[in-house]
Amino acid sequence: MDILAKLQILSGAARYDASCASSGSKREAPSCGTGNTSSSGICHSWADDGRCISLLKILLSNDCIYDCAYCVNRSTNPVERASFTAREVIDLTLDFYRRNYIEGLFLSSAVMRSPDHTMERMVRVAEALRTEEQFGGYIHMKIIPGCSSELVRKAGLYADRISVNIELPSQASLQRLAPQKHKHAILEPMALIGREIATSLVERKASRRAPRFAPAGQSTQMIIGASPENDFQILRLSQGLYKKMNLKRVYYSAYVPVTADNRLPVLAAPPLLREHRLYQADWLLRFYGFSAEEILSDDAPHLDESFDPKTAWALRHPEFFPVEINRADYVTLLRVPGIGVLSARRIVAARRFSLITAEGLKKIGVVIKRAKYFITCSGRSFEKPDQPPALIRQRLLLGESSDAAVSALPKQLVLPGLFA
Amino acid sequence: MMNNYLYDGTADGLLSAIAWILEEEPDPEKVTIRERMDTLFEEGFTIGTDATQAESLFFRLKQYAPDAAHTLYSFMLAEKEGMETSLLHYVSLAFKHGDKVKGYLTHPAVRDIVNVSKKAGRELHRMKGLLRFEKLQDGAYLAKMEPDFNIIHPLAYHFSCRLRAQHWFLYDVKRRTAARWNNGSLQFGTIEQFTTPALSEDEKKVQALWQAFFKTIAIPDRKNPRLQKSNMPMKYWKYLVEKQGE
Ligand code: SF4
Repeated sequence: MDILAKLQILSGAARYDASCASSGSKREAPSCGTGNTSSSGICHSWADDGRCISLLKILLSNDCIYDCAYCVNRSTNPVERASFTAREVIDLTLDFYRRNYIEGLFLSSAVMRSPDHTMERMVRVAEALRTEEQFGGYIHMKIIPGCSSELVRKAGLYADRISVNIELPSQASLQRLAPQKHKHAILEPMALIGREIATSLVERKASRRAPRFAPAGQSTQMIIGASPENDFQILRLSQGLYKKMNLKRVYYSAYVPVTADNRLPVLAAPPLLREHRLYQADWLLRFYGFSAEEILSDDAPHLDESFDPKTAWALRHPEFFPVEINRADYVTLLRVPGIGVLSARRIVAARRFSLITAEGLKKIGVVIKRAKYFITCSGRSFEKPDQPPALIRQRLLLGESSDAAVSALPKQLVLPGLFA
Repeated sequence: MMNNYLYDGTADGLLSAIAWILEEEPDPEKVTIRERMDTLFEEGFTIGTDATQAESLFFRLKQYAPDAAHTLYSFMLAEKEGMETSLLHYVSLAFKHGDKVKGYLTHPAVRDIVNVSKKAGRELHRMKGLLRFEKLQDGAYLAKMEPDFNIIHPLAYHFSCRLRAQHWFLYDVKRRTAARWNNGSLQFGTIEQFTTPALSEDEKKVQALWQAFFKTIAIPDRKNPRLQKSNMPMKYWKYLVEKQGE
C-alpha cells in the first residue's frame, strides 16, 4: 500500500479525537535541528468542519485486536487495515513541519498484538524524532491502557503531552461497550503520569538540566452520548480529574455513530449541543471558580439546553445580583452572564483610571446584551430592577438570536428502554 | 492655543518627533502632530528626524513599560496614517502610567492605538500558522505571502527560532520585501524582479499528501464552512496548499 492510501486510512481513523491543542509547552529548537514549540499554541489551518489543525493527527495502525462497540477500528468491523512504519511517520512529520503545515505530531494507535507491543512502537517513533532527527516540535502521544509503566515513563520523556483516554464515564459502561478495557488500566497510568509530572517539576526547580516529563501536561477524552451517564456524573468526574489527577484538559467528544451495534443508542445526529454545553461547563470549572455541584445537582442532572450553564446558574440565584461594576471584585464579575475573563479583566483595569459609566463599558468592549439584566453601573441599572427570573428568562430567550446557531445544533435522541 | 507639529512621514521621523515633544511640551496631550505635505499654507512647526532619538525613545519605553512598548511596536507594523496624534498621546500616557495604560480603554487615543496594534498582532499570529513553504530545486525553502500589515521582520524572527537547520526565504509579494535565513544569519532586503524558482522533485508529492490529510481529518457530519472562513479568511487562501483550486 502506498503512503497516500495509508495516510488516508490512518488520519481518517484518528479524526474523532477532539484534542488538537498544541499549547502549554515551551521547547527551544536544537541548533542543528528542526522545530520549537510555542507556549500559546499555533493553528496551521482549519478543516472543513471548522476545527483547528495544528498537529499531524494519525494512528500508527488501525489493526485492532479489541472490539469496542463505538469504534470504527473494532476487530469485528470490516474496514481496510493499515499500519505505518516508524520511518514513514518520521518522514511525514518532518516533511510537513519543514513546510510549516503543522506544529508537530499527535500519535495514537489501535492495539496491535498487545498494549506493550503497540506502545513500544509508538515510543520508538518519538525517540527517533527527538534523538536522531533533533526534532524540537510538539509531540502528543496517547498511552495504550495496559502497557508497562516503563513505557509510560519513556513516552513522557519524549512527548510534550501524553494522554490516556477515559473513553466512557463509568466502569459499567466500559464493561458494556469496551469489554477488553478496564478502569484500573486507565486510571493507573493517569496517576503515574500525574506523579511523574509533579516530580519533574520539583527536580527542574532544583536543576534546569533535570529531564522534563510531559511539560504540556496530561489530558484525556471521553465519548458523550454512547452511554447513559448524565451531565452531573460527567462533570463530577471531570472535576475529580482536574483536582486529584492534575489534568490539563478533559475533552468531550459527541458520539458519532460509526458502526451498528445493538449495545449503542440510536441517534438522529451526534449530540453536538450537549457536547457544547459540557465544554462551557468545563470552562466554568477551570477558569471561573465554579464547582460541579453549583452547576448541577441530583435533582437537575442535565445541562440546560436553552441557556449556557452560567446564565442558568444566574437565573437560579437572583439573590446574587445585581453586581456593581465599579465595586465588585474580579471573581464576582466573572459570575455575571455575558462577562468573560477578558471583559472582567478589562473592567478591573479601566477602574483604576476612573469610574466606569454605561457608555464607558461599551467603549472598553464589554458587550452588555446579556449582562445588562444582572449589573448596575454606579448604582444605576440598565433594566428595570427586580424583574422576576421568569421574565428575565423569557427576555433572554427572545433576545438570544446570536445563540441561534447553538440552538440549531442537533439534540440527542435516545430510544427509550435501550439502557434498561 | 494648541500647538501643531509636523514630521517627515517616516517611522523614525514620527518617533523622534514624539521624543522631542515629550521633552519640550509641558502638556503633550494638548498637542497634535501630522505628516508634512509641503503645501504652501501648512501650519505648524516641523521637527527634524533623528534616528538615534527614535531608537532611544523606544528603548526607554521598553524599559519602563515593556507591554506598552510592544503595543507601540505592533502599531508601527500597521503603517497607519492619520493616527500620529493618538500615538503621541498614547506614548505620553504610557510614560505616566506604565504598563497599566493598556487598561485605560476609556481614553480614545489608548483605544485607537491598542485596537490597531491588536489587529497587527493578530495577523502576525495567524501568519505564523498559515505561511506555507515550498521546497526548491536547490534544497532551499520559499514562502510567499501578501499580509495586510508589514510583518515580515517579526515573522522571520519567529521562523529563525524554529526552522534553524533549513535555508529559507520569506517574500512579501505586495511590498516586494524579502527575508533570508541561511547558516544562522537573518537578512532583509527588497526584490525588484521576482521570478519563481523551480520546485524540488518531491514537492508536489508532499503537497498531495498534505491535501489528502486536510480532507480526511474533517468529520463529514460536521461540515462548517462558515466557521472555517471566519477562522481562516479567504484572503489568505491564495498561498494555502490545501485550498488550491477552491
Ligand atoms: S482499542 Fe481503541 S482502536 Fe481498538 S477498538 Fe477499542 S477504541 Fe477502537
